[in-house]
Amino acid sequence: MAKPVVEKKYTLGERIYLLEILKGMVLTWKHFVFNFMASFRSGPHTVPTTWQYPEDRREISPIFRGEHMQTLDDQGREKCIGCGMCAKICPAQCISIVKAKVPEDQQELYAGKTYSSSFNIDLLRCIFCGFCEEVCPTNAIVLGQGYELAEYRREGCQRDKARLIENFRLARESGKLKPQRKPVIVAEPKAKPAPEGGAQKDPGVQKVEQAKPKKAAAAKETT
Amino acid sequence: MDDWLIALIKVVFIWVWVLLIAVIMTWVERRGASMIQDRLGPNRAGPFGLLQPLADGIKLFTKEDIVPDKAKKILFSLGPILFALPAFSAYAVVPFGDKIVLGGKEIILQVSDINVGFLYVVALGSMAVYGIIVGGWASNNKYSILGGLRSTAQLISYEVPLGLALLAITLIYGTFSLREIALAQQGTFLGVFPNWGIFKQPLGFILFIVTAYAEANRVPFDLPEAESEIVSGYHTEYGSMRLGLYLFGEYVNLCTLSALIVTFYFGAWHLPYINMAAFLGPISYGIASFLVFFLKVSFFLWLFVWVRWTVPRFRYDQVMGLGWKALIPLALINLFITALAIQLTI
Ligand code: SF4
Ligand code: SF4
Repeated sequence: MAKPVVEKKYTLGERIYLLEILKGMVLTWKHFVFNFMASFRSGPHTVPTTWQYPEDRREISPIFRGEHMQTLDDQGREKCIGCGMCAKICPAQCISIVKAKVPEDQQELYAGKTYSSSFNIDLLRCIFCGFCEEVCPTNAIVLGQGYELAEYRREGCQRDKARLIENFRLARESGKLKPQRKPVIVAEPKAKPAPEGGAQKDPGVQKVEQAKPKKAAAAKETT
Repeated sequence: MDDWLIALIKVVFIWVWVLLIAVIMTWVERRGASMIQDRLGPNRAGPFGLLQPLADGIKLFTKEDIVPDKAKKILFSLGPILFALPAFSAYAVVPFGDKIVLGGKEIILQVSDINVGFLYVVALGSMAVYGIIVGGWASNNKYSILGGLRSTAQLISYEVPLGLALLAITLIYGTFSLREIALAQQGTFLGVFPNWGIFKQPLGFILFIVTAYAEANRVPFDLPEAESEIVSGYHTEYGSMRLGLYLFGEYVNLCTLSALIVTFYFGAWHLPYINMAAFLGPISYGIASFLVFFLKVSFFLWLFVWVRWTVPRFRYDQVMGLGWKALIPLALINLFITALAIQLTI
């Protein structure tokens, strides 16, 4: 139903405009005086509705998704195992990785058996979705708090591994690391299968196996 | 000192002074607008952002100067000049102070006291429309031409009440010279009020200030450049320093109109109830009168900004209706009453 048109009868005072304009001017004057006084107060955050950005930064959430970093473990070893899952899931395809086996004489530098011999993130393409962080099996890649990413040149927006690790160091020093978001599956040599884990796993496997023939049967029926 | 040298100094001085005011006005407008809208405005360049006009100027100068392909080249470059020039020229007859005595020579603080100053002002006021219509026409852009046409219609219809309001003033003071009008506003009127035009012509003042807003193309009558309707009207195609000249001309226009309001209605350089000439030395009196005058002018300049950020734009037909159906009859009535009152009192 259409909204009924309300014919407003204006009083003479309203039709002369001038009085109404004066009322409006009183209102804007109040705003002006308030902000004018506020701008003389010391301190960066004077006008309550405005953040004066470079001096006055707002608190960002600890789980903010900003510039990436490559984490190290307690012994200072790189956690990344070069599995390439982050590169695979990245919707913007901005991660490029070269995987390599850890050389015998550099075992103390890397946590896993393999590592990424080159790791590059193109921040110009990144959409900061955080999928890479979510998918990483070793919590190696983490999105940090940095958001001032403007550069003068395109090349400046590439992040190589050294820079990513540097980001991690800086974040650790300033205490801005977020807690690990999931338990790390430690790649232990498979000696004895855990009884509980096995019990949980088996039905799932069975279910999958059962589902397959059913699907095939269903497909047959439709044809 | 030769007379022509004094005249030259006065011309250069007032020219620079008005330029300075226009420059500061761009800053006042932006900061004032932001304060009214709960923002901060440009506060980075210099203390309180005072160097912002300089930064804007540098920006406008270094921008590429684009002339549209199909534009009428000569008219296109003529437009901004035609707009800015009358605004400056109108200052020639504005008395920006009483007089100053330097080296035994009495200097009138006015570039030239021509006896038809009043007509000169009105004539130059209607000149400004050429800058707009020429710029709008030469741009070869439909929004520009619409802006130009609106400006023409608006200025022509508001020129009439403006002239009629001023006519009532000349009836009262019996002169066309702006300096004599200013001089006549000294002392008190009916014993209580200062002898200012506004107390003798309250209706005339309202008419004049409304038409002044329309003449200056300011909100609520900024139809020639209504952003939400016709991009930015007559200066849509302009960029670089040509645009700068248009924007600048607008502020010079404001300054001129404020000076006229003060001269006609707010007692020019006179303070209410105080006769400065009585107790100030000849030099300090000259300076004081100049300062008082521009103090009043700055109030009206601020009023322009204040109103701009308070009142929304009128619709086109409302502007025309207000002009023809309200202001012109009122101006005629005002003129009639004034004439009657003068006839009865003499
Ligand atoms: S945050 Fe998203 S877009 Fe950026 S690198 Fe990670 S997965 Fe790719
Ligand atoms: S960062 Fe994580 S997901 Fe990416 S390659 Fe390294 S271990 Fe794999």
